Amino acid sequence: MVKKKKIYLQPTPVRIWHWLNAFGIMTLIVSGTQIRFPEFIHVLGSYKAAVYLHNTAGFVVALSFSLWFFYYMFVSRTMADLYVPKAVDLKSGIIRQAKFYFLTYFLGWDNPHHPTPENKFNSMQKSVYLGIMFVLVPLVSLSGIFLTNVEPLRSLIVMIGGLKLLVGLHFILACCLTAFLPTHIYLATLGHTPMEHIKAMWTGWEETKVEVSEGANKNQKEMDDIYAEQRAA
Amino acid sequence: MKTKLAKRILQGVLLVLAVILVPLCGSAMEMDDCLGCHADADMVGAELQIDSERFEHTVHAEFGCTTCHTEITDDHPDDGAVVSATECLDCHEETADQYGHSAHAENATCVDCHDPHNATGLEKMAAQGMNQACETCHETEEVVTMHAEWLPQATLHIAQLPCITCHTDADGYEVVLNITQKQYDGKLSSYSVSTLEDLQKYSDGDDISALIDLNKDDFISLAELRTFNKNPAYAELRIEGMLAPNTASHDFSTHDNRFDCSFCHVSGPESMQTSFLALPEPSGGFTRMAVEQGAVLDALYGTPDFYMTGSTRNASMNLIGFAIICGGFIMPIGHGTLRFMTRKNRKH
Repeated sequence: MVKKKKIYLQPTPVRIWHWLNAFGIMTLIVSGTQIRFPEFIHVLGSYKAAVYLHNTAGFVVALSFSLWFFYYMFVSRTMADLYVPKAVDLKSGIIRQAKFYFLTYFLGWDNPHHPTPENKFNSMQKSVYLGIMFVLVPLVSLSGIFLTNVEPLRSLIVMIGGLKLLVGLHFILACCLTAFLPTHIYLATLGHTPMEHIKAMWTGWEETKVEVSEGANKNQKEMDDIYAEQRAA
Repeated sequence: MKTKLAKRILQGVLLVLAVILVPLCGSAMEMDDCLGCHADADMVGAELQIDSERFEHTVHAEFGCTTCHTEITDDHPDDGAVVSATECLDCHEETADQYGHSAHAENATCVDCHDPHNATGLEKMAAQGMNQACETCHETEEVVTMHAEWLPQATLHIAQLPCITCHTDADGYEVVLNITQKQYDGKLSSYSVSTLEDLQKYSDGDDISALIDLNKDDFISLAELRTFNKNPAYAELRIEGMLAPNTASHDFSTHDNRFDCSFCHVSGPESMQTSFLALPEPSGGFTRMAVEQGAVLDALYGTPDFYMTGSTRNASMNLIGFAIICGGFIMPIGHGTLRFMTRKNRKH
């Protein structure tokens, strides 16, 4: 039997952060491309406009990152639960989720992970977001802050290997973040309907169809039990 | 009779020799005579002292002192005559004409910016030294504030560019590389241009150019630059680069096209091909050594501290970045295609 259920998955601060971040990152990609390839890209008008916009968007993204960090760390206090993969995620969760994405999805099986506010991300998402939010975004932001303050921070820049290393790092990390976008947007369409997850990020509410037969949710129940035990511990 | 003729011929030859040699000997001696006193501050005072080492390396020295100081007599200084110098425009007519039409002409004469006894071309200067004349009147803080009204990263631009890169006309531009070193022992020390004495400590008595020009062919290859930059023995030294004009006019106007960042930041790697290493000389000036074309475009080790946004981007880095971004489309395209082909399986 299939049952419809609405859950409040994305609280307001998270949605504000997400769209601020999305808008900021898109702006950074376009302005960054113009800054690196000025003779080919002129979409933002003058070079100076692109530089100012890039710096402003970078500031907005750094600010929204702080909002995200503050909310999950100190308000909802769910950072570790949501973003840090547990032993069970690494042992079996990732394989189970990969099997779904690359095999059973095409056979028409249901997603083994059903998001709840306490366990929003599947095992693969946790691992990827951990890398993105705790390594990629902080490093690209930090390198950007250094690049907007080269003269006052020159000694520090020299100490870490020089301006070219910093610029190279900023560029390659930015490319990684850019590469994540098409995958992120595509995966967001893999809900029961293509807009299900995207709507949830706008309204906060996600309508899920839950299969209440014995077998379909057995794995999920097992995972939920393990998470509950680990949280209690 | 024969003896008298021979005597007259000898007198004639001596006279001819005297006519030819005396002025030559005189002009050579003259500069030495002048410097005999004027190189010594104790004899003439600091105001009239001339750094003979530096002066002898200038083009002006080739003409001798009396070419400019025409009123000097053999009785100087006992004659008590006031010694004046000739006008610069007597020789530098074109430059004087150009300068005369600039706003600077109302505020500064030639000698306010140039010391005629230490005047060298741009090719004998460290790029960092090109701003010294400007800084006599224009305080850095004031210049930064003024430029920050329209120029992004004003502090960086003012610190890393000679003023004349933007405020004069030039035939072309080149990257002048200087060896700099830590000002004090500490990880966060700032760097200043190394002097000859500083670098001689590293070269063990050898020519200082051998620190980088390993094969001593008076040419610095990218491989030699990389070796220098990665050598742990030179951890205290860095190579700093500045974009400088290869010639400079004296109009000092603010050219409209310099307000457009694309004057420097759009031209692409072609403009970043030519670079020189400026090495300090005993005279206090610098001598230039050609560097391999495009060395500043190297991804990391060619010139680790010289990067100009939009102009010195590295082609290999671009390809790596492009490949990474393309990788991001594998999932949507590959998975999306299979998703479309198996769409019937999910209609339940």
